[in-house]
Amino acid sequence: MNINTNLKEQNTYDAIVIGSGISGGWAAKELTEKGLRVIMLERGMNIEHITDYESAMKDPWEFQHAGRMTEEQKRTHPVQKRDYPYQEANEKWWVNDLECPYTEDKRFDWYRGFHVGGKSLMWGRQSYRFSDHNFEDNKRDGHGNDWPIRYKDIAPWYDYAEKFAGISGQNEGWPLLPDGQFLPPMDLNCVEKSVKERIEKHYNRERILTIGRTANLTVPHKGRGNCQYRNLCSRGCPFGAYFSTQSSTLPAAMATKRLTVRPYSIVNHIIYDKDTKKAKGVMVIDAETNETMEFYAKIVFVNGSTLGSTFILLNSTSEAHPNGLGNGSGQLGHNLMDHHFRCGAEGTAEGFEDKYTYGRRANGIYVPRYQNYGNDKRDYLRGFGYQGGASRGNWQADVAELAFGADFKNNMSKPADHWKMGLGGFGEMLPYYDNKVYIDHSKKDKWGQPVLAIDCETKDNEAKMREDMMNDAAEMLEAAGMKNIQTYDNDYYPGMAIHEMGTARMGNDPKDSVLNKWNQMHEVSNVFVTDGSCMPSIACQNPSLTFMALTARAADYAVKELKKKNI
Amino acid sequence: MERREALKRVAYLMGGAISATTMGVLFESFTVLDKSKMVNFSVSDEAILAEFAEIIIPTTSACPGAKAAGLGSFIPMMIQDCYPANLQTVFATGLKAMDDKCFTKFGKNFTTASNQEKTVIVTELRDEAIANKRTPSFFTIARDLTILGYYSSEIGCTQAREYLAIPGKYDGSAPLEPGQKAWATS
Repeated sequence: MNINTNLKEQNTYDAIVIGSGISGGWAAKELTEKGLRVIMLERGMNIEHITDYESAMKDPWEFQHAGRMTEEQKRTHPVQKRDYPYQEANEKWWVNDLECPYTEDKRFDWYRGFHVGGKSLMWGRQSYRFSDHNFEDNKRDGHGNDWPIRYKDIAPWYDYAEKFAGISGQNEGWPLLPDGQFLPPMDLNCVEKSVKERIEKHYNRERILTIGRTANLTVPHKGRGNCQYRNLCSRGCPFGAYFSTQSSTLPAAMATKRLTVRPYSIVNHIIYDKDTKKAKGVMVIDAETNETMEFYAKIVFVNGSTLGSTFILLNSTSEAHPNGLGNGSGQLGHNLMDHHFRCGAEGTAEGFEDKYTYGRRANGIYVPRYQNYGNDKRDYLRGFGYQGGASRGNWQADVAELAFGADFKNNMSKPADHWKMGLGGFGEMLPYYDNKVYIDHSKKDKWGQPVLAIDCETKDNEAKMREDMMNDAAEMLEAAGMKNIQTYDNDYYPGMAIHEMGTARMGNDPKDSVLNKWNQMHEVSNVFVTDGSCMPSIACQNPSLTFMALTARAADYAVKELKKKNI
Repeated sequence: MERREALKRVAYLMGGAISATTMGVLFESFTVLDKSKMVNFSVSDEAILAEFAEIIIPTTSACPGAKAAGLGSFIPMMIQDCYPANLQTVFATGLKAMDDKCFTKFGKNFTTASNQEKTVIVTELRDEAIANKRTPSFFTIARDLTILGYYSSEIGCTQAREYLAIPGKYDGSAPLEPGQKAWATS
């Protein structure tokens, strides 16, 4: 009895944070800085900043397989290998799919990384604010539920997140892409500058092109080094030059001496106390030993990634919450969204043959959304932005001839004759109730847990938008004087953007949403969900900056409520 | 853009000019490993592959070629580790056929043939590959791996091309100097 009491005391904190990625790291930082004793539970291994980025300083010839995956890696990573992010240089960031299977009612590419830092180590780092237009779109066209917040509610938290994370970019005064607190922008290259000038003139600045806003430091920031232009971010940055849990939020949280990080801790479910009508803690499976244990706290922040968090909530059933924790609305697991992309256009630039690049910029250009705004009307709802850029690659001709020999070698060692410029669309997917996930009890993962089933597809609105994503790109490249313009659609399946969102949405009405305007569960007041699952719509901008801002805002509210003894 | 670009960067990293076959193996191949069907290579196979690779990317006045870059052992290692059993068999059969072809034609093994003779043989294999619409063959696979291996080797990166480990800055409007080599990575 005594042992149990001690154990319970030992395992009791002020707050539990489930997950250590972008939003979990922010939750840990904010809650500890506000005085709470926090345990951050991470299901995967620990990754120490810098020392565990083993491949970060390797030269190309130090990789055994020249970047290629082995047949054995393809066998154990049948999902991760479907697209480029899973590479020899960063293979340890990606899950062994055989250990954590899921059910694809329709093809859904679920890219996951189980380790401290989560996807903050592998993310694309593009960081854009949502505008009021985005927060109002659901209400305007009736798809999804109304956002319970507007831009003014989140704007100060965007400021706060940007100032800490270090986002480089250019303010443009563009109504659909609010300005921010930016470090100096990276440079556009010579072709991009020309394309920008010509597009903005041609469209009378009703379309703009700007340098990508990215969480890469262009100047030293808060003790972190600036970008060295190696373009090897996905191996982990030894200079701490991009925002990750390890480079940024974790050191801040650790500095408070109030954070405990526990790797290999798979949260199986949240424990609900029917007397207090609150969560009292979580049940954890140790990923190495399979032992189960419990941790207790006054508040729980759920930051296990959109589908990870949704699984935990769906798996947290009790008499009071038979369909998952806080799921009285029946919306938990529904409205799954991702950005659809992989289509656009490319062309060659002429007149820049005497120019080349020095350094490798891990960033591109951005054309913010301009469709269905002002005088621009389309035959579909919402819109898309473009990411892309110009580059002068290596000589690529003569592939068809299967050439070889001294001349071939000589050519292969030269820069390409021309620069190329590409624009790739990133489109908004509407929230559809029938795009959903649910628990499939017919399968078990390595730890004996049931698995998630995913049933998600794009529909007519996205299909129509994709036509424009190609045609508008071609039209703009044409206006910018590019030659040999070709459109492409390389096919898209939900999940590919690794921007899955929406399955535990916020809203004003507890009847049609899971969380309130503070990311707090309507039905369980001490549970907060601040990762991508909270999003009622996804706009077309990369979302992580919004998760950071919402998390800081929710943590501020949670601690105030805790102090007022409201939770 | 990041994803598309990165995909292309993988191709650049591999030296560019990669055929559809190789890209397919890279991103789509899905086979259950069956060790019993895997092909083994001998030391003499490595010698033949080194000579083949040297015909694809020879030593020139500019810098050493594929043989010096270690392609003789790189190619069979890659075949065993990164290719499904059916392509391993295609490769091994084609390797032997090349040596046989050389012996029939010139009365010599591939390793002892002159450069000119080896070039005749490799040209024939290339023409067959084009006639067969580049379906996977010894030639297409071995050529792809030669390009991949050479341009990610130290010689390929630092002598054939130019390698900058830590640029420290970005200049997107740098002058292209006469005779400038391509960057080894992008």
